[in-house]
Amino acid sequence: MAEQKFDRGTSLSIFVSDRREDITALIFAFIIAFGVLFTS
Amino acid sequence: MVYTVKSSALLIIGIIMLAWAGLNSSGAIDGIQSYLLASDYKDHTKVMKKYEAQLKEATDKAAAEGKAAPEMKMPASKFDHAKATQSTMSNYFGAFFVLIGLFTLAWKPKPGNLDYFVSVVPGIAYILLIAFIVRWGLDPIFGNWGKAAEPALGWNFAKIFNLNYVVIGIVIGIIAVNVFRIPAWAANGVRTARFFLKTGVILLGTLYSAAELAQLGALSVVMIGIFVLGSVWMVLFMGKRMGTPNSMTAVLSAGMGVCGVSATVAASPVVQAKAEEIAYTIGTILIWGVGCMFVFPTIGHLLHMGPVQFGAWAGTGILNSAQVAGAALAFDPRNIETLKVAEIFNITRVLFLPIIVLWLAAWYVKHEEGAQKVNLTQVLVAKFPVFVLGFIAMFALSSMGVFAPAGHYKGKYFSSAEIKEDKLLKSGEASALQGELDRLRGAEGSQALSKYLTESHVTLGKRNVTSDDVYTSLTELVANRKIMTREEDSVLESLAKMDGIDKAAKEAISTAHDAAYHTSKSIKSYRNWIAWLFAFGLIGLGMQITGKALKQAGGAPLVIGGVVGTVKAVGSLVVVMLFVKEFI
Repeated sequence: MAEQKFDRGTSLSIFVSDRREDITALIFAFIIAFGVLFTS
Repeated sequence: MVYTVKSSALLIIGIIMLAWAGLNSSGAIDGIQSYLLASDYKDHTKVMKKYEAQLKEATDKAAAEGKAAPEMKMPASKFDHAKATQSTMSNYFGAFFVLIGLFTLAWKPKPGNLDYFVSVVPGIAYILLIAFIVRWGLDPIFGNWGKAAEPALGWNFAKIFNLNYVVIGIVIGIIAVNVFRIPAWAANGVRTARFFLKTGVILLGTLYSAAELAQLGALSVVMIGIFVLGSVWMVLFMGKRMGTPNSMTAVLSAGMGVCGVSATVAASPVVQAKAEEIAYTIGTILIWGVGCMFVFPTIGHLLHMGPVQFGAWAGTGILNSAQVAGAALAFDPRNIETLKVAEIFNITRVLFLPIIVLWLAAWYVKHEEGAQKVNLTQVLVAKFPVFVLGFIAMFALSSMGVFAPAGHYKGKYFSSAEIKEDKLLKSGEASALQGELDRLRGAEGSQALSKYLTESHVTLGKRNVTSDDVYTSLTELVANRKIMTREEDSVLESLAKMDGIDKAAKEAISTAHDAAYHTSKSIKSYRNWIAWLFAFGLIGLGMQITGKALKQAGGAPLVIGGVVGTVKAVGSLVVVMLFVKEFI
């Protein structure tokens, strides 16, 4: 895995920066949290 | 650069998932599933027996009345629900992967966003297929083996060695990359692992509530606070001295300080830990914990420790929840008092996680900037991992009662008002309790009760429980046929442990206790989401651990872990021996 080269993101992430990965994860988590809350 | 690799692999994975869904729905693999979903299958046989009895009764009644046999449908059991979940998940993902798989084969990719995001799908499918195998296959198989070997070994090896989907997932990931290598078509998608892990960590905040802290004794908070913060500080200090990378030191400090595996996973993205550093930390914690589990009970017996003392020591000194429970039960298999105290200390430690995560985030940002003087506020704003704020926000929302009644812990909460009519105590159970109440009010009974309450140091908040508390709680329970308050529940739980209490009365108290505690549906759902996100993320992380990388990580973490673990175990033992008897 580590030998693979990618011209976008890093060897650990498809996102261009950690901040963008964090914010996307945050949005995704809130969608799950409130999606579950309103459907259960 | 074109990322999409033309391959039929995605199509094949989609077909495998659809086939699994079909086999589940048709009942063709019920034999295998009854083994894998053993506890759900027990429920299924109960529901089936009840249904057959009802059907027979209705048929006999109809025959006696000269009517046609009635049409009845067996209600769905937990087993049916579990199979349905597997079918639904396999169907949705399978259909999606088949569609994208066909598209990939037919399409001529060009560099750009569409190529980039389509190329992520095969890697996700690859990890998800392994996650299905781990969660639906290997995890229950090890669970069953652990239970089967328990009578011979005297302990459940699957629980003690943490052979659940977390550890199995990482190991499978390591095997996948070191033995088979990651196929080119999956390489881009494997890089989504950390993203899903971060999402899981944010959702983890929904499971805890600050109100739970109010239920804990002051001693456990102070003692755990000192040892958690002290261990984290000590690992950070030793790591700096021994020159281990900041990310390695930070992730090890979370693992050694808070609660083992979950703290390690939660802290890893905060400090940008490498996959092999996470694996090293988890390995160190588990090996250390297994050793403690065998050594602690022996030392406890040698020092003639009481249940409260040993529970406090195990809950502070041992890092992993299952190993804490294992040590407490090994020390005192008959009485759950030790286990209960150990769990209180264990819960307190887990509740320190948000504080530690924030501390490590700030520490890591500061130390990664190098020796030059930096404006910490500016650096924090620029580099602070935003998802940590998500975790804290979820924890705050959970504490406010947004996801489940405030005061819940991992979705379990007390509510007398929500007890349904069929869960109220039956008349026979109420009579057993009344009989016990009369006995305890008698001369001999009241003397024994008073002696038990004094000798066992039974407390309610900051005050000692009195015989009157017990009489009131029992009277209320008999009158209402349910437990009305959390305090009464606590008093009755303590009473049930007293020697000489009638077996039927003990069972009635246990039934009333179970009826008063409810599990939040939404929290149950979150737990499921978290489990899937962690399984996915950890398999993906495992795929980034090569043998070469493990060698590079070196043996320093093991040394630091061993030293800090020993200091923590010895230090907490001294504190327990000196203070615990007097304070609890």
